[in-house]
Amino acid sequence: MADQPTASERFIQGILPENPVYRQLLGMCPTLAVTNGMKPAMTMVGATAFVLIMSNILVALIRGLLKPHLRILVFTLTIATFVTIADRFLGAYMYEMSKELGPYVPLIIVNCLIISRAEVCASKQSLGTAVADAAGMSLGFGLALASIATVREILGAGTWFGMAVLGSGWPAWGIMVLPPGAFLVLGLLLGGVNWFDDRRKRLAVTASE
Amino acid sequence: METLSSLIMIFIGAALINNFVLHYFVGICPFLGVSKRVDTAFGMGLAVIFVILIASTLSWLFTFFILRPMAPIPVWIWQVAGGNPETTVDLSVLSYIIYIFVIASSVQFVEMYVRKFQPALYESFGVFLPLITTNCAILFACLEIMKNLQDPTMLWGLHEALILALGGGIGFLIAITLMAGIRAELDLCDVPKSLKGAGIALIVAGIMAMAFMGFTGMDRGVEQALSALGSR
Amino acid sequence: MSETPETNETLPAGENQPADESLPAGGPPEKKSYIGQAWLVILLAFFFGSVLALVQTTLGPKIAENKRNETYSVIPTLVPGSDRDMTEEVVVEGHNGRQIRLYKAIATDGSHLGWVIPARGQGFADVIEVLIGQSVDLSRITGMYVLAQKETPGLGDYIRGDDFLQRYKDKSTDTPLVVVKADPRQENEILSLTGATISSEAVTNILNSALENLKGKLEAHNGSIAAPEK
Repeated sequence: MADQPTASERFIQGILPENPVYRQLLGMCPTLAVTNGMKPAMTMVGATAFVLIMSNILVALIRGLLKPHLRILVFTLTIATFVTIADRFLGAYMYEMSKELGPYVPLIIVNCLIISRAEVCASKQSLGTAVADAAGMSLGFGLALASIATVREILGAGTWFGMAVLGSGWPAWGIMVLPPGAFLVLGLLLGGVNWFDDRRKRLAVTASE
Repeated sequence: METLSSLIMIFIGAALINNFVLHYFVGICPFLGVSKRVDTAFGMGLAVIFVILIASTLSWLFTFFILRPMAPIPVWIWQVAGGNPETTVDLSVLSYIIYIFVIASSVQFVEMYVRKFQPALYESFGVFLPLITTNCAILFACLEIMKNLQDPTMLWGLHEALILALGGGIGFLIAITLMAGIRAELDLCDVPKSLKGAGIALIVAGIMAMAFMGFTGMDRGVEQALSALGSR
Repeated sequence: MSETPETNETLPAGENQPADESLPAGGPPEKKSYIGQAWLVILLAFFFGSVLALVQTTLGPKIAENKRNETYSVIPTLVPGSDRDMTEEVVVEGHNGRQIRLYKAIATDGSHLGWVIPARGQGFADVIEVLIGQSVDLSRITGMYVLAQKETPGLGDYIRGDDFLQRYKDKSTDTPLVVVKADPRQENEILSLTGATISSEAVTNILNSALENLKGKLEAHNGSIAAPEK
């Protein structure tokens, strides 16, 4: 276990170097579906972060008792339970939002991000590391969703978090808040991140020479 | 005629207008990951149709008899146990857990069955079966069926649930096969380096989603054609 | 979904094995160890089950109330003069053989003012759900409200706006309503939204078929109730 990353490394890695959306291409379904505005996107991030952190905590606590061939079963059971709790909570206290998010809250169950964190980190490392890992990944997921939602909401409706940004003269690009806009924005942002990364690597190589 | 036309509406809605992949964004991961070659994409699509039909049947049965509000089995147990017959018995809080296990076990059984009894079929799509457990399209179909069963004004029958699942599965097959066809051609193109792989695939998907928006309103035309047929 | 979609095709079958519990019971060679292996799962299942039961008993009523509030809070605007707390729910079977839950709008003095009918149908993008306020004999629209829609933002989603919904108010429903693109002259014509004809037609069709479905079904339920004792 000596080569396992430490808690702070896990935390930092989750945010940018191993960003769940841009780097690992995990959890694409909510990334595309709920980013037509900042509000639904941030609610989704909150729900996902809750499930991710809680399931990482629980899995880290029982990691010593896990039988290898039953572990996926335990992970699924844990995730489905916390997703149900998150879903009921949204329904009780943020009814409008839960209606808008609709099936995408229960679909957190099949968000591979969560099960992959349980498998890669929480079932192998200590509680503290697992929490740091979950927090870092949630932040990374949040940043990714925020970037997409910002582009889509500002271009598509001229608003950000519902506040007018571009003024009433802006001809809202309806396509941005519709499904095609989600694919186009994510595709272009992904290209941008890759380009930036390549450039940084190239510069680092030239500098070291 | 009424039923037939509503079934056709559900089918067209799930397969084309509100395409699972391009409108609801479910099943994106295999859509991006397994769409490099047309034959593998087609195999994946077939496997999804196979599993989605089985999982939908099972989840319809579970929802209808156990998980919807006032479902017959828990109500019967409640009354046999001497509970107040006026109480609303509602086990829908367990839905998500049951669905995910229904999906996981049906995938497992389908894989075992196909491997043992249909080796030829297993060759063509068996390798994709384990990947399907985490395909959101299947869970999404179960959730749609749940939504339409829990609402007493809809109360979908098994035939409606199956048509939705079939439509969704075929919609997935169409989308992933088209995508694979386009990506095969893209190999010959000069794509900017940073967009290679997922980036260009997402942009192509965006253009496909725009094309699929052209199907909106199609259901109304079909409905009118059907009612004209029916009245003749 | 798998870690890196690029490698999906080469992933050997079984690498991603889901829930092993679905193996047949005869699977494990040693029967004794079966409980020994699964005790954690059983314990967790009980633990999660009780957590969920707790969540459901605390949050369940609140969710049900939210759902109810959504409809109840608009009833007084859909049938003017009615009182939210007097509303009665009536379940009838429509011509299509399905049960429909209707809201009987009642004034504070107990007189029956009209009906609120929930209806739904395919819109331009997704399903549209509306509430229709109707006079007692289902001959006149007293108000409309859109509960759920996912129409094109900036075009079709104006069906939610008062500007559009007012076009239905006080229309007679003896003949089915039709949507026209300009200059409504007949009593049963509704002016469509610019750039959103399909959404406008969808709302109108939902309304027409909901009323058609209920024709002649409500007479038995009409009638005022006794005024509440003060």
